[in-house]
Amino acid sequence: MRPLLANRSVRPYLLLVAITVVLWILDGGQGRFFTTATAFSVLQQFATIGPIALGLGLSMIIREFDLSVGGMISLAGCIAVLTGASHPELGVALAVLFGLAWGLFQGAIMVWLRLGSIGVTLGGLLTLGGLAYVVTGNLSISYPRMDVALAVNRPVLSIFSFRSLIAFAVFLVAAFFMARTRVGRDVYATGSDRRAAMVAGVRTSAIIPAVFACSGMLAALGGSLLSYSLAAASGEALTDALVPATAAAIIGGVSLMGGKGTPIGMIGGVLVLCLLRAGLNAVGTPPAVQDIVTGGVLFLVAIADAVDLDPRLFAIRRYCAEMFFRRDDLGRPRQASPAE
Amino acid sequence: MSEQTLPFAGRLNWRAPLPHSRRGKVLVAIRLAGVVALAAIAANTPGFFTAVSLFSLLNTTSFIGCVAIGMTFITLSGNIMSFALGVTLSTSGIVFMAALPLGLGGALIVAFAFGAAVTGAQGFVVGYFRANPIIVSMAALALITGGATLITQGQGVYPQGDAAAPLKGRVFGVSMPLAAFIFTVVVAQIALSFTRFGRQLYMVGSNWRASLAAGLDPARIVLGAYIAAGLCTALAGILMAARYSSGDLELGIGYDYSAISAVLVGGTAISGGEGSAIRSFVGAFIIAICQVLLLLHGFSTQIQYLTIGVIVLLVIMLQTLADTD
Repeated sequence: MRPLLANRSVRPYLLLVAITVVLWILDGGQGRFFTTATAFSVLQQFATIGPIALGLGLSMIIREFDLSVGGMISLAGCIAVLTGASHPELGVALAVLFGLAWGLFQGAIMVWLRLGSIGVTLGGLLTLGGLAYVVTGNLSISYPRMDVALAVNRPVLSIFSFRSLIAFAVFLVAAFFMARTRVGRDVYATGSDRRAAMVAGVRTSAIIPAVFACSGMLAALGGSLLSYSLAAASGEALTDALVPATAAAIIGGVSLMGGKGTPIGMIGGVLVLCLLRAGLNAVGTPPAVQDIVTGGVLFLVAIADAVDLDPRLFAIRRYCAEMFFRRDDLGRPRQASPAE
Repeated sequence: MSEQTLPFAGRLNWRAPLPHSRRGKVLVAIRLAGVVALAAIAANTPGFFTAVSLFSLLNTTSFIGCVAIGMTFITLSGNIMSFALGVTLSTSGIVFMAALPLGLGGALIVAFAFGAAVTGAQGFVVGYFRANPIIVSMAALALITGGATLITQGQGVYPQGDAAAPLKGRVFGVSMPLAAFIFTVVVAQIALSFTRFGRQLYMVGSNWRASLAAGLDPARIVLGAYIAAGLCTALAGILMAARYSSGDLELGIGYDYSAISAVLVGGTAISGGEGSAIRSFVGAFIIAICQVLLLLHGFSTQIQYLTIGVIVLLVIMLQTLADTD
């Protein structure tokens, strides 16, 4: 059990089982929860949050953070809807190409000007958000192809859809690259100790733009498919997906300190979050509770991943031991030291 | 990268592109050129120097400006930004409106206490546990939004009686929001330049480890910075709620982005430890002037969003010149 718990990629799946049990108990045998409809809605949310979480997670693995995905989702949706009326594939392709180009641009700036990712991608977020407003003319634009909207959401094998299958495929490709190729190793090396990686011959100045390009492409893919499925796009919604995607990546075992986490773990993280949201929805809690749960989980994970958590906990434990049990921190009865 | 720097805030590399002194001069020259160009465009724009356009400029800037001053404390402390200030602004407005039956004084105290507590809680986690400030503020954004929606059922809160009327008046001939903004800038700048807290804040922001070695308590100082940010944001929320006679979750949407834009355009370093309240004041005005100019030249609001984004991106790219380490 111990080594299983220590594996960061297994933890989200254990959590998944635990949440299923809790929701099953909450449901109290009314059959609202164990339905194909719930499973389908979990996977639909997975399709929306998954690619974004994967992109963010990859940027977190190299110890950076891509804030610009928030703007990329809406802009990619707008691009896809505006250009994909006659050929839907063309719209997605253009959006993904734009995501690739923008990610490369951001990564190149970071490497070339030696800037931190938060600043650059914050500027990117605001610029992309502005661009989305400009291309839509500050309106919500609708997508004329209802057949495409229905096709991407049509259930496949009763619980999957085209969108969620694409999301799974993307995750599996990423998992293969991260686990089995040299590029994957280089990405982990860049994240765990950039200086050592450079010394060891990893071309970090190529890895960083590549990861941001992936992140841009994934956000663009997620955003354009989402806009197709809603048959609409607009410049609004700057961070709507950013918070759950971040939470999902962290639950999936990605560390903010870089170098840790796998795409397979991230699948589990996204599923945990989507299951929580869909499950709460199924048992009839108001939507605001989903926000609170997402925020609460993110908050706890942020504390659990904090740099100074251990020393603070140690201080608290020592304080409690002295105050309440008259013991020192090793559990021995406290003795007055000669100095006192 | 040393273990002590926050992830993704710092520089990617440690070699300097130019000698320090020259880089600084280049930066100053670019900034001056920008300001001069802006002034020249403003002077050549018919209608810019009319009273109506200037007053609307000053009023709209005041709300963003107050939040930007609050954000300055967080940025200076080395914690980049908080995504939760916009929603804190709306919720302190709601709390103020809901507490108005207590009288104006009581409502003010409750709203300020709320803002300080909500933002201070983030500061506590960021300072004492050194949790990631971006993630903590995202969590706070979701928690506050969810909690407020649950309690208000998504409805606006309207005041009972007119106890908030004094906040809509004028002080020394200027509107209340502008007076409050200027007051905030002055107090914040005095706190940053002439108090022990201010000095310590700069030190913690520029180097956490050194401040610890120097015997400071960085956790407490970061907590203080967040509480200051909460107070400034609550002030903006209160004045906004008073102005629109309602507290609503919609009021503060996007204010966190506007505020961090003002902070960065003003020239405060995103990595912390360098900057000032006056810089954010200037930054807020530069952004507002750009917006008014674009408006007067007939550009739509969407072009304004884009322009601000591009300006922020350029300013951040320029900061590589200022980075001295």
